[in-house]
Amino acid sequence: MATLATGTQVGRSLPRIEAREKVTGRAEYTHIMQVAGMLHARIFRSTVAHGRIKAVDVNAARQLPGVFGVYTSEDVRKVIPDPYYGPAFHDQPILAIDKVHFVGEPVAVVLASDPHVAEQAVQLIVADYEELPAVFDEVEAAENKILVHAELKPAGTFADLKHLKGRKGTNIALDFRLRRGDVDKAFASAAHVFEHTFRTQKVLHLALEPFASIADYRDDGVTIHSSAQGPSFVRTEIARLLGWPENRVRVKVPYLGGGYGGKLYIKMEALAVALSMLARRPVKIALSMEEQFYTITKHPSTFRIKSGVDKDGRIVARKCEIWWNGGAYADIGPRVTQKSGFTAAGPYDIDNVSIDSYALYTNLTPAGALRGFGIPQLVWAYESHTDMIARALKRDALDFRKLNLLREGRPQATGTIVKDAAIEKVLDRIAERLAWKASFDRGQGTVRRGRGLAVALKAVISPTTSVAIVNISADGSTTLYCGTVDMGQGSDTAMAQMVGEVLNVPAETVRVVPRDTDVTPYDMGTLGSRSLFHMGHAVRLAAEDARAKIAALRREVGEAEGSNTPLADLFRKRYGMQAGNIVGTGTYKPDYIAPDSEGLTTNATPFWMVAGSGVEIEVDTETGQVRITRLVNVADVGRPINPRIVETQLSGASLMQIGFSMFEKMHIDGGQVTNASLADYKIPGIHDVPPIMENEVVDAYQSNGPFGAKGVGELATFGVSPAIANAIDDAIGVRLTELPLTAESVLRALRARDNRPLGDD
Amino acid sequence: MTPFELAEPASLKEAIALIDPDDPNVRPIAGGTALMLMMKAGVFRPRRLVSLRKLGTGFAHIAATRDGGLAIGALAPLSTLEYSAEVARHAPVIVRTMRRLSNTRVRNVATVGGALAHADPHMDLPPVLIALGATIKIVGPKGERAMPVEDLLTGYYETALARNELITGLHIPPQGAARAVYFKVTAGSADDWPALGVAAAIESGAGTVKSARIVLSAATVKAMRLESAESALIGGKPDDKTIAAVADAAVKEADVMADLRGSASYKRELLRVYVARAVRAAMQEVA
Repeated sequence: MATLATGTQVGRSLPRIEAREKVTGRAEYTHIMQVAGMLHARIFRSTVAHGRIKAVDVNAARQLPGVFGVYTSEDVRKVIPDPYYGPAFHDQPILAIDKVHFVGEPVAVVLASDPHVAEQAVQLIVADYEELPAVFDEVEAAENKILVHAELKPAGTFADLKHLKGRKGTNIALDFRLRRGDVDKAFASAAHVFEHTFRTQKVLHLALEPFASIADYRDDGVTIHSSAQGPSFVRTEIARLLGWPENRVRVKVPYLGGGYGGKLYIKMEALAVALSMLARRPVKIALSMEEQFYTITKHPSTFRIKSGVDKDGRIVARKCEIWWNGGAYADIGPRVTQKSGFTAAGPYDIDNVSIDSYALYTNLTPAGALRGFGIPQLVWAYESHTDMIARALKRDALDFRKLNLLREGRPQATGTIVKDAAIEKVLDRIAERLAWKASFDRGQGTVRRGRGLAVALKAVISPTTSVAIVNISADGSTTLYCGTVDMGQGSDTAMAQMVGEVLNVPAETVRVVPRDTDVTPYDMGTLGSRSLFHMGHAVRLAAEDARAKIAALRREVGEAEGSNTPLADLFRKRYGMQAGNIVGTGTYKPDYIAPDSEGLTTNATPFWMVAGSGVEIEVDTETGQVRITRLVNVADVGRPINPRIVETQLSGASLMQIGFSMFEKMHIDGGQVTNASLADYKIPGIHDVPPIMENEVVDAYQSNGPFGAKGVGELATFGVSPAIANAIDDAIGVRLTELPLTAESVLRALRARDNRPLGDD
Repeated sequence: MTPFELAEPASLKEAIALIDPDDPNVRPIAGGTALMLMMKAGVFRPRRLVSLRKLGTGFAHIAATRDGGLAIGALAPLSTLEYSAEVARHAPVIVRTMRRLSNTRVRNVATVGGALAHADPHMDLPPVLIALGATIKIVGPKGERAMPVEDLLTGYYETALARNELITGLHIPPQGAARAVYFKVTAGSADDWPALGVAAAIESGAGTVKSARIVLSAATVKAMRLESAESALIGGKPDDKTIAAVADAAVKEADVMADLRGSASYKRELLRVYVARAVRAAMQEVA
């Protein structure tokens, strides 16, 4: 065996420590996990978007041989009297109670030892609904003519939602506002005013491992295996539903086959627990690929954005109104609405800013966070808008941005000073790679070429807490306990590298314990690119604590300062044999100041996330087909802990966003998703990867980050969509304001401009 | 998925006997790539599946025929066509089509016979085989018969096969000087089902088109020849004016349907453009 590297562990492109386990099929995933004696659940779902449940006939299903039991909310309430859950609002029932609020909502469940029997029995259930008027569009929902819920039920977890408690007659689950300067006055004196509206479609995470949870309920405790991104939150929420202390709830999370924000908070866990309570047997819920369309999606959005520009090309005012289509249950939508609201005006230095961001209930599958926490929807709008202004003013898109860019030391819209945010450097590197100022082959005939770029800023979700434990055994080997979920992003490897860096051991010798709330300490959740920074700090602190305790042990056994006696010998000297432990702990929570009633705060975020993209494209003017011939992603990640993993995070995020930009769309008819399968909802494949793809991190150092690092997971989703739309405009002079940018929408816009519109059939 | 019987007959005769012509829930299965999806979605709940896998390699051959054409067994997996030197020699368009036909995993198990009998209008192979003038051999309880591929497809997922008839093989006639192309036009990812497929096989000489077969798929209920477009091309000089007339004839002739992948008016534009491109590309192949 080759000697493993000691010394600097941070900055190594160490292959993922779990890679061998995964490619040889040995890695554990909840979806394929078996627990002795378990029953399989299959879900009967609503076929109407909004309706009162008149009757659910489960008799035929119950009588099918092999069926263990059939359950509705009536049964659930016998074991969990108030069965409503959710991170921001306690609005989602474990099974529908009295009403259904979206097509696909779970109404009843069949349990059987044979999943095929359960599936067959589900077909025998008959529900009778009194259909109610439904609302699907977010702007229409804001008119409050059709109400999704009679009353708002905030969870109380977030202080800024408390004022919504008990509010009636509204679909608005949160209204975030920010006021800086005086936009009306600035618009009145501006030389130019521009206003545009942008929309995004409903898309979903589509992790290749669909949602799965197994619950094993006993009178003294419950064990839950789940494909969850936040084991600590699952534990807290299940304990609340059961009225138990947290230490009776154990949540175990193996590797995840993708998450992207979909598996955050609580999904199938409460239902699995309720069923296990009713059946007195372990119960597994493993959704099909198709059922993911009825679980959680990204927010569709409408963004009306208005900017005032002075005669010199400086943006003097920006007004942003955003409507977020949150679906039937709030999930984390209110957080998306507020936190993304901070930066809705973009990475520009604008004195007068007004932002209104609304979370809306509608009768659709609930929406949550998807690789960007709302930021990709906002960047789509503000970077398209910014480009349109530059074009209208006949200014170069790069120069116009640079003239208005938010620079180091300047206050961002919230009033928080921008620090360690390489916005200009990122923009410059995209431009340099595209040779922006050089002449460009614009194509000819029916193939026209264009290019575009976009840059974005995000405030990380704050304040959040992470805790880690580093345990050194008596033979000197090191174990890390942390709750960050490795769902494919390589966090186990990065965390092991940070432990190795502090303790001067090879990262691959550090054991990272799989997430288990009985042993791994609290973590807020693996979300919003927060883990490398927050958990990274906790891990660093835990390792430093262990290192200090090693030094103390050295002194205690009479070793000279700086002696290199092996750790195992120190333990042996101290305990007379191979015995004992050194346990280091670390807790990290950054400072944060909540925004005031005007949305202003001097500390909105512990770090700024910065990234952008540039593209070169070809448009076929006869068909509208767009081919991305080159994609450049540039990001500020501080100092990369593992450069190779950082690169794959950038390429992966940008390819995911290419799908959301170019063709992914949940087609919805009367609330029914008409393409709820991988046959009809396509995600990018290998042939969709641009022939040239470049990923770069700028030379940067996050001064308050662990080893100079900060998060990366979401970054390359930000700039892709507007960069492509800007390039389409550059190529053929046509502007699209709604995603996805399908070939048909390009051709329709082109032909409309040329007064040869396509027909409506 | 509920339990069902899986029969694995060792002979063709046995296989045919196991298929109950009156029971739609008894079906033959070859590669199963389409049937398994239908079963997972619950739209097909079999009572019995008659697997054709044990019928032996006799139905998976690829060989040149005495007439200079090519014979392909119905059980040949698509990937064997993809990598066959015989196929590359006789009908290189098939090899090119394979590269974007679904994915490697599907091509490794999906069979030629299944790709025809399934009759999903979005499939890539049927329009190509129609353009090549291929015929199939069919065996049923009453014996064997032959049929052009274009007559096999009668509608949306509908064929001229009786329920207990099986496709046993395919014959592609010698192509002579004709050259063929296929354009798969997707609206979603590159590996999506096509919004439109256009295949063309054209023979020309001395500046005129001698024969032309132009086939449209995916946008209509079945893969079909566009005969008025073909007549507009045959006998003439394939200049820009002619090709525009061919494309117009195609749009006039085809009853194009709207679906998730595009409106009818958009697909008509695609048809106009891709018929012209297919004709030009096939002519270039000739040159």
